[in-house]
Amino acid sequence: MTYRHQEEMSPPPARRVTDVAITRFEHVYEVEPALMTEHVTQQSFPNWDTLRLVRSRADHLAWMHRHFAGKVISGEELLHDLDE
Amino acid sequence: MTVLIGDPVLEELRGILGPEHVLTGKADRLNRARVPAPFPVHRWAERMPDLVVLPASTEEVAEVLRLADALRIPVVPRDGGTGLTDGAVPLRGGIVVDVKRINQIKEIDLGNRTCTVGVGINALKLNEVLARHGLIYPDDPASYPCSLVGGRIGTSGWSLIGSRYGHTRDLVLSFDHVLPGGRVIHVGDGIGRKITKSSSGYQLKHLFMGHQGTLGIATEATLKLFPKPEAEFSPFWAFEDYDSAYRAVGALARAGVATFAGAVLFDEWKVDYLRRDDEAYIPQPSSVKALVCAALYGYEDEVRAGGRRLLRIARSLGARYLGDEISEGDWAARHDRYATPLHGRTKSGQVVPMSWHCEDASINYTRLPAVRLAWHEIAARLRRESDVFDDWGMFAYTNGATGADYLTEIDIGIWEQRLDDTAWAAWVRAKRDLAAVTLEHGGSISACHGSCREGEVDLVPEELGGGYDVMLAVKRAIDPNNIMNPGKYLLDQAYAEEP
Repeated sequence: MTYRHQEEMSPPPARRVTDVAITRFEHVYEVEPALMTEHVTQQSFPNWDTLRLVRSRADHLAWMHRHFAGKVISGEELLHDLDE
Repeated sequence: MTVLIGDPVLEELRGILGPEHVLTGKADRLNRARVPAPFPVHRWAERMPDLVVLPASTEEVAEVLRLADALRIPVVPRDGGTGLTDGAVPLRGGIVVDVKRINQIKEIDLGNRTCTVGVGINALKLNEVLARHGLIYPDDPASYPCSLVGGRIGTSGWSLIGSRYGHTRDLVLSFDHVLPGGRVIHVGDGIGRKITKSSSGYQLKHLFMGHQGTLGIATEATLKLFPKPEAEFSPFWAFEDYDSAYRAVGALARAGVATFAGAVLFDEWKVDYLRRDDEAYIPQPSSVKALVCAALYGYEDEVRAGGRRLLRIARSLGARYLGDEISEGDWAARHDRYATPLHGRTKSGQVVPMSWHCEDASINYTRLPAVRLAWHEIAARLRRESDVFDDWGMFAYTNGATGADYLTEIDIGIWEQRLDDTAWAAWVRAKRDLAAVTLEHGGSISACHGSCREGEVDLVPEELGGGYDVMLAVKRAIDPNNIMNPGKYLLDQAYAEEP
């Protein structure tokens, strides 16, 4: 988190990904802002809160894996076995 | 029926349950008047119960039903309220019996691998306790964190990993059930609480599952337990066309891998929908037109061996593995689809808040392609008529380990705040048409939710044929005063005067 409020309220510049999505942080996508102007408008989020939401989601999914099984097997590892 | 404050009925209920467990406030009743399935919210008041009771035991439920039956007051059981066919929605006012206080773990029997619980417990919370013993109760709906065992019995629910462990009907061994007049019976295979197979007498367990609260209320259930899986594997694959993905999902499901817990096919409309809003799929190349995933659970050596076999099959059929991050993330999210915030698009592309309709027919594998096209035509018709509807694409989930049939789901976004009477009429017509396509292709209207919503319910007598007449006779015999969830499944016909 940065020290000044204004810095947190200034997200990095957007990069277009598709016709309907942009990105500002790595692996984090947003709906193209022009599509959120009539019925649902975009909210201003501090950068730390955007990243916190993303991390929380990842934590939740990791918890769900642990809840159902002791270990998750990697497909990339199994594919490597097949290629050998 | 309307119960007024001061009414003797209220006093009697307070005497049975204690004053704090009889709720008459507007918020208490409004919150128990709907389920997540989209409906015309301007008609919310039509679904209001007169009051809500919160019993704590089988005996209290029995006393409430005895009183309601004597006074002919409608009763609607409510568990998590997560069902998608309006089972927990009162159509005639009356009393909502909310069972959330009946949520104790009564016994964990390690020797027989069972547990006995109050039906107000949630599987996620139960599994947190069972994990201490290395066990799991693997009933895994999309509402896993919020649905309750009693609701799963009332709907005879479907489980995401049912191809490995069975569905609710297989996992619930027996339960205490309060009949409409207040009599308590125990139903299972034979009389046993923990018996997994009996041929003694009629098999009543199935009769008292999936009735949507029209035959009474389950209160305490004994459940089958399994070792908590040592390992999980959930590969996701991309395909360049639907036909290749369709062939692959069939081959994976028919492979006979013992740890196979399920496979899912995503069609082109679903991929288009995910490209709008889902981090995993927004960056995928445009060549990706359809997806398949599978899940395996068991001991690590078994899962690794089965996983290699499925990877080989998928690769031979043109699949591209999507990588560990997408595979693991998307599968974990499938246990908790009610937590997903939803929005749709108007025809001009503007984002609008929408609620989720999930059609859930059972369709044989060989009929999936034809049903998919017919259903999307219906969704396209709705979309042409109104911006209130948005086609979110289709999934097909294996129902069992042999790949015979699939829970076939078309997701349609519905803008509830704009769902006026005209749009609702169009929706009910579409629901009827979706069900008609299912029956034309030899399917069943519902694999999971039940089929008593407006529109679909009109075709239930056609689906069941002579069996529907038996259903009417059973309803009349068990609930002679029609107090249990009246208005559902067109069962009022059971009480029509003979001409």
